Amino acid sequence: MTIAAPRLEDTKLGPKAGGLYRHQSFFVALPFGIFTAFIGWLVSHALLQNSNWGSDMVVTVTFVSWVIGFNAGIGTFNAPFRWLRGKDQTHDDHLYAAGVGQGWKRYWKYCTDHKVVGTQYLVLVMTLFFVGGTLAMMIRTQLITPHSQFLSPQTYNAIVTVHGMVMIIATIIMVSGPFANFILPIMLGAKDMAFPRLNAMSLWVVVSAVPPILSTFVLGGTDSGWTTYAPLSVQSPPAQDAFSITIITFVVSVTVAGINTIVTTFTMRTKGMSMSRLPIFVWGSIVAAAVGLYAMPAFLMAHSALITDRVVGTSFYAPAQGGAGWLYENVFWIMGHPEVYVILLPAVGAILEVASTFSRKPLFGYKVMIGGIIGVGVLSIMVWAHHMFTTGWAPSLADPFMLTTELISIPTGIIFLCIIGTIWRGSIWTKLPMYFLYLFLWNFIIGGVTGIYLSDVPADQYFHGNMFVTAHFHYTLLGGAMIGATGAVCYWFPKMTGRMLNERVGKWAFWFIAIGIQITYYGQFWEGFEGMPRRVANYAPLFETANQVSTTGAYILMTGWLILLYNIIHSWHKGEIASANPWHAKSLEWHTLTPVPLENFLVDPVVTSDPYGYGEPGSVPGAPAPEPAVVGASSNQGGSH
Amino acid sequence: MSVTEHDMHVPLEGGSHETPQERHRMEHIALWLFIGGDAFFCVLEIFFWFYLRSLNTNGMWRGTNCSKANACTDGLGNPLTHPIAKAAAVNTLLIAVIMLASAAVIWFAEVQAREGATRKTTTPLIGLALLLSLGAIAYQIIQFQILPFTTIDGTYASTFEFFMGSNLAHFGLVAFIGTGLFLRSRKGKFENGSWYHLHLSRLWWVWIALSTTVLAIVSVFFA
Amino acid sequence: MPSDHDHKREEIAEEVAPLFEGGPIWRRPAAKIFVIWAIMTAIGVVIGVMLPVHIFPKMVSPQGKDALDTVVFFTVLAAPVAAFVYAIGLYSLLAWRKMSGKSDTPPPDGPPHRGSGLAEALWVGASVVLVIVLLIWGMGFLASETAPQNNVVQVNVTGQQWFWTYSYPGTGVTSNKLVLPVNREIQFNITSMDVTHGFWPVELGDQIDANPGFITHITVEPNQLGNFDVRCSQLCGLYHAYMYSHGQVVTSSQFATWLQDQGASVSSVTSYALGKN
Repeated sequence: MTIAAPRLEDTKLGPKAGGLYRHQSFFVALPFGIFTAFIGWLVSHALLQNSNWGSDMVVTVTFVSWVIGFNAGIGTFNAPFRWLRGKDQTHDDHLYAAGVGQGWKRYWKYCTDHKVVGTQYLVLVMTLFFVGGTLAMMIRTQLITPHSQFLSPQTYNAIVTVHGMVMIIATIIMVSGPFANFILPIMLGAKDMAFPRLNAMSLWVVVSAVPPILSTFVLGGTDSGWTTYAPLSVQSPPAQDAFSITIITFVVSVTVAGINTIVTTFTMRTKGMSMSRLPIFVWGSIVAAAVGLYAMPAFLMAHSALITDRVVGTSFYAPAQGGAGWLYENVFWIMGHPEVYVILLPAVGAILEVASTFSRKPLFGYKVMIGGIIGVGVLSIMVWAHHMFTTGWAPSLADPFMLTTELISIPTGIIFLCIIGTIWRGSIWTKLPMYFLYLFLWNFIIGGVTGIYLSDVPADQYFHGNMFVTAHFHYTLLGGAMIGATGAVCYWFPKMTGRMLNERVGKWAFWFIAIGIQITYYGQFWEGFEGMPRRVANYAPLFETANQVSTTGAYILMTGWLILLYNIIHSWHKGEIASANPWHAKSLEWHTLTPVPLENFLVDPVVTSDPYGYGEPGSVPGAPAPEPAVVGASSNQGGSH
Repeated sequence: MSVTEHDMHVPLEGGSHETPQERHRMEHIALWLFIGGDAFFCVLEIFFWFYLRSLNTNGMWRGTNCSKANACTDGLGNPLTHPIAKAAAVNTLLIAVIMLASAAVIWFAEVQAREGATRKTTTPLIGLALLLSLGAIAYQIIQFQILPFTTIDGTYASTFEFFMGSNLAHFGLVAFIGTGLFLRSRKGKFENGSWYHLHLSRLWWVWIALSTTVLAIVSVFFA
Repeated sequence: MPSDHDHKREEIAEEVAPLFEGGPIWRRPAAKIFVIWAIMTAIGVVIGVMLPVHIFPKMVSPQGKDALDTVVFFTVLAAPVAAFVYAIGLYSLLAWRKMSGKSDTPPPDGPPHRGSGLAEALWVGASVVLVIVLLIWGMGFLASETAPQNNVVQVNVTGQQWFWTYSYPGTGVTSNKLVLPVNREIQFNITSMDVTHGFWPVELGDQIDANPGFITHITVEPNQLGNFDVRCSQLCGLYHAYMYSHGQVVTSSQFATWLQDQGASVSSVTSYALGKN
């Protein structure tokens, strides 16, 4: 007879456990943040309104107050101030913070359980995509006819800017948020992330970063694109200050999350999990995190200097007073290019896991792929000026940057080698995640090849600032990275929610998405070939047909995403209950229970091989792991061997 | 860094699953990653300095003291030639020296704690380091008032004051940590071999002192 | 004693051999993959050769033509590479799909092949060769955009929110329409009055930003008569979409006449046209 050991999450805590956390939640933080923002507005309005650049100062102070207030209300500062006073958290406090005894309410609170944080990120990401997607549909609707009056030029520019930035935020966190938080620690055999409180912090800081950028619509609108080039952005309405506050806040979150991921991977792997047995998803995540740590300070610098130019009259970007727009552009792209690999690499890691599991074959060229991922990461910091080929800055550097940019296609190409090597003579099982692997393959080739066109300086002299660029980066970011992320959602959905995503509905969503992407962005390549610039509210009649094609595609794409959203929500509530390992996969996350217990494993797993042993005798069995029997405190049963 | 045997006998901080050594290693790596990011930020600040200085667009690196002249250009858009005086080097350098001193004191406090000192020794030392950092903050704020220029006076002025603002933000973090160390030391948290947080804080503190010094050298000797 | 070398040979033979087996030639996997690849490559090449030429505007300078030629060349070069990946992807679904999505149990595992040094080396090697080809192509064209020679015609371009102004130094002519003489090297000197704009004479095939506080330069030699558009390629605020100029490439005598019509004196036009300004 087996006796189930008492679970940690069933511990009964005392009435004071958690301290201040007991009284904090999103529903407290929101009004408290608004209140603090109001106080900030009141004080700065009274003191500064009539000074030089008064309205910019007021907006800046108001939104900084919002960020501080919201984070104080949710509990970000609890632990630092307890440390300050020397009153450390007790064991019960830790358990409360991890969500013990709170049921569904813990999803609205500062919860240190990485699985809760991962789920919160998933919901946040879907919300952000919904917002960004709505803005995209407004853009495409505007562009149906050449002289459309659906949106005024000011509103259009504001929408283009916010669409871009919201999507950038969403794509940076779309894999690293939900999956590097929920899945990665379990993949490593760890109990949680290295810094659980910082994990919760990184989520809530992003949440606090969203209202400022959405407020830009009522503060005059940002009209300089997500890139907010100076000197235009120095002259923008006060909305620009709110935008920069969003960026600076977001940078804090990404930095903290990146450090957490890296330290977790280096120090919390379970016994037997050497670096050469790491799932490729982990490699993608940590290289992306490292690249992010390099890029984020540049984002911070570019926008801090922009704020001071606007709020206290510095002249970093104002040529009349000694500055230069090129300074902004350089520092921005020093961030901006590595940042797209921060977006891409975790998604590539995830889709490679899908490739292996659904080909029932080891990942092809594991070591070469790691080299490729690291190569992409390293090279990504050396290519930034390919965004500046036509700015007139340092023409003699055009050749070197063309060289480095074309070189980056070599490690990127290894991704294709690994995918086709993995599916080669495999036993392919066409479940929904695998659909997205194939779509990724199709899209990313197109995105990558068109990037090569742009890396060629003479071609870029035609294409810069033109819709071809827009089509290229949507193919790579949406068609590549976001489709990889969608595959990740479909793949890990059973583990995260305990239910199966409906395959039939999912396939409908897939086909709308797949076809929608091609039509939308082929339309935009066409626009680019014809010579249509980017970020234009109206255009010459000769571009009309191409735009109508693109908008039609956009509506098809939108339908696909909405079907998928419906599928996710419906399956989350009413889907078929999932077993612990529905894909019969080999990585550690599939060898614990669903729903995953508080500290992930009831028995510490011991690993003797990497998770790609398909077809190899004696590898970790792919069958679902049974619930272990009585657990002694020092059991070393080695998990599911 | 080395971990003494003492660490092995320290009870786990409530709720932590790792041994103290594992925890320390994790915090150590995290701190170095964070310092790395901050170091790159410092590099970018220096990049701003030298790039704008070499561009000297419109002659406005130290071209014109708009604040003093009440205008930046004549009626035709040409910059007025009232060259900006440099900020007094002594203030900038002294602030850096104060931070270096406070870093030295906190380092000394750490060494004492490692050798088994009680709170009677470590607390005053930490208090001194904290006071010095608060002094640096005060001095930095005062320097804003006594500068011979303001932020609107061209790019030397802009970048110089940006360095000052960045210093203030970093000193603020140091002061927060210093206050925490002081209060915790009073409770004896660094006795009996549990000096690790003091060690981590010292690393950060020394980094800030170093970056302040580097920025001071750049802004004084390359004006 | 079987060496590592033989082992590798065995492994490769094991992977590759089955592709060449199985009845008549056209039934073998390698042949099928080849056919799919060939068809896809052909489609790609045809698209590359036929489509851009019809969609691009009519270029009026060699640089414009270079941009178009680059697009064609790169598309033709990319077609076999993309087709290779796509062919294997498609074939995998035709031949190696062992279990449909309707099943909840996976098919039996595939062969435990973790990699092939040879495949990896060939792939990376081929990528390097491709990159070298692309670089030579690009650097070649870039080098042909040499520094201006003698008798260059200067045109000053000023961008501001939200229109372009062109001036022809020495003649006193300013205009919002860009008129250029054919078969002459034109050096544009570009700046902005306010924010960064993108000076993009589309059919001339080159562009550069107009930066406030700085002057940038590009040199183009239009070699076809005809109209062209100047658009702004860098978001510059409210009416960025409307920041547009007409352009026209005319013969030298038409150019001189036009300048005089704009108010230039005959002597200034003569010395200007000789590139002496």
